[in-house]
Amino acid sequence: MAEVPQVVITSLGLCTPLGRDPSGALARGESAVREQDELSGLPHRTAAVVDKIDLREALKRRKDRKLMARPSQLALAAAADALTGWSGPTETLGLFVGVGREPGDDGESESALVAAQVDGRLSEEAVAGPCRDLYPPLLPLKTLPNMALAHVSIHLDVRGENGTWCGGPAAGLAALRAAIWALESGRCDGALVVGADSWTSAGAVRDLLRLSGGDPICPPGEAGVALLLERADKAIGTPLAEIGLSRRPGPRSEFAHRAALGDCKAADALLALALRVGAGPGGAQFVAAEAGQPPVGVDLYIPPEFACYPAHSMDADDA
Amino acid sequence: MKRRVVITGMGMVTPLGADLEQTWAAVCAGRSGIGPITRFDASDMPVTFAAETEAVPVHPADEGDLKLRLALTALDQALAQSGSVDGPRTGVCMGSEIGRPSLETLAEGLASDAAPDAATLARLDPAAPSRWIARACGAEGPVSTVSTACTSSSQAVGEGLLRIRRGDADVMVVGGVDVLVDALMVTGFAKLGALSERNEDPQAASRPFDVDRDGFVLGEGAGILVLEEREQALARGATVLAELSGFGCSCNAYRITDSPPDGRGAYQSMAAALNDAGLVPSDIGYINAHGTSTPMNDPSEARGIRRLFEQPVAVSSTKSSMGHLVAACGAVEAILCVQAIRTGTLPPTINLDRPDPDCALDHIPHTPRTAEIDHALTNAFGFGGSNGSLVVSRHG
Repeated sequence: MAEVPQVVITSLGLCTPLGRDPSGALARGESAVREQDELSGLPHRTAAVVDKIDLREALKRRKDRKLMARPSQLALAAAADALTGWSGPTETLGLFVGVGREPGDDGESESALVAAQVDGRLSEEAVAGPCRDLYPPLLPLKTLPNMALAHVSIHLDVRGENGTWCGGPAAGLAALRAAIWALESGRCDGALVVGADSWTSAGAVRDLLRLSGGDPICPPGEAGVALLLERADKAIGTPLAEIGLSRRPGPRSEFAHRAALGDCKAADALLALALRVGAGPGGAQFVAAEAGQPPVGVDLYIPPEFACYPAHSMDADDA
Repeated sequence: MKRRVVITGMGMVTPLGADLEQTWAAVCAGRSGIGPITRFDASDMPVTFAAETEAVPVHPADEGDLKLRLALTALDQALAQSGSVDGPRTGVCMGSEIGRPSLETLAEGLASDAAPDAATLARLDPAAPSRWIARACGAEGPVSTVSTACTSSSQAVGEGLLRIRRGDADVMVVGGVDVLVDALMVTGFAKLGALSERNEDPQAASRPFDVDRDGFVLGEGAGILVLEEREQALARGATVLAELSGFGCSCNAYRITDSPPDGRGAYQSMAAALNDAGLVPSDIGYINAHGTSTPMNDPSEARGIRRLFEQPVAVSSTKSSMGHLVAACGAVEAILCVQAIRTGTLPPTINLDRPDPDCALDHIPHTPRTAEIDHALTNAFGFGGSNGSLVVSRHG
């Protein structure tokens, strides 16, 4: 049987509430979770928010930022950092994205919908009339789940195999799995894995509260995480860690970073992995993804193969 | 050696019919499933027509939700053909878009500033169709959801192929579903300038590769395929309908709504699918094009095809008959390619009265063409620039 090529992580990009390199802040015990004005009227008022998403170096056209919902901005910021130094062909660079809460419509269509109200209900006649003129023309596109992929591809010129996976916290891991497969089977030369999610708006927190059925929720967070993966035998970059897919449950995840960075859902497992890799061998305070983290409010089955681990963190019984 | 993957079940609900047989008969007869919007009063809208599914009987498990009804109806058909495939070695991958809240739900939100209830939120989740399908067919293996706009179900079928090849599952139930014909979507896509506005003659509105094309027609539907590892399928005596032999994809890295004029993304996606299948361009006997009928997509795809296929290859776009099923189109059109191989009939592009010289291809205008072919390729290209191509082959 042919030997499966080893895959390595050669670069990381992070856009988190504790900045681009949160490891130091985490080590110092800092936290980005704080009360947010936007949440003042809600039963839950804390979240970890990225103060400023710096896209100056990433955008081909500055005005394109207006087309980007928040998860797309987080994704692009992280991906641009991870791709710094990539000198391989872009046609064979894959792009595998996991997204969570779709940006939806965070109030952009409100004036149009208000204009479409007749006696407390939305009238289709009014949608066709006054609402139509106010309806944001780009909204149908902005709310598509694959827009993070689209913007990373367009602005960073990534052209290879690709996909956007949905499914709550499992989405980032599904993207990671697909990327590892693509590299192992030679379908791409490099693979950019991106997880992006944002649950910090008032609308998102209302959704979380509704899904929790009134139970307390973990402080919500947001993040963009990007990992550049390459085959070890062809790597252009310097390997930071080996990575593979296990058919057995991996090391138990603690997701300890959530206390400081909030719960970033689709980006969370990749964030845990990136923090682990960034900490280097022996930096054991943040443990990589676990096998069966169930998505919020759904019963998606996550098989053991989703256990991903940096090789240097393998438990003795995995070796 | 690669594990080979075969198709043992197929089902669909489209604007042309409530199953594969009805849809195929209508496509080959050159009928159109496009007409005035009936689901709501669209008379004052800029676009007054769409490709709606006709009254599909209520499914016992559909909870009153049309999207769920279409998906489960297509699943029932596919399972009736394949036989039961439940168990831990069966997975699911569906292509789907984010659900759109109804006007009633939006009105409630405006009135009370309340979030939709948990059940509604779960239904709007793009991953919802994967969960429904997994539950309905008893799949206990890996479940995932791909969402890349119009490429979603093409990539979902591709993911199923890769999962079986890799040994993560022996059976994958794959496909896509989409329901976009609502007042806000019609308004939004019309404002974007993406839709045909041929209100006076809806059945002539979807005219891929024709000089008078002016946009796509919103449609809705579902397509489901049962994929199976070949040796297992043969061992259990399943009827093998075709082999799924290749999958490729690419990113345009160009613009959100437009394809690059040189067709490079389409070329790369098709070339990757052929390479994956171990075929050369001359092996392909038919291409079911993405062919949306938009001014920009059609010539871009045509250039991509001409660049890869030095010899002319028969091409048609069945969106001319059934409109654009968006997240479901890749799966539905892959099934039509299987039908083309099995019946020796290549479906036509209707309304192709005056082929655009910029889209010069070996078109199949108006009426089907008889041809024995062994391999067919289908394209799906999405908003955002994701492209997917699948190759299906005669089993043997």
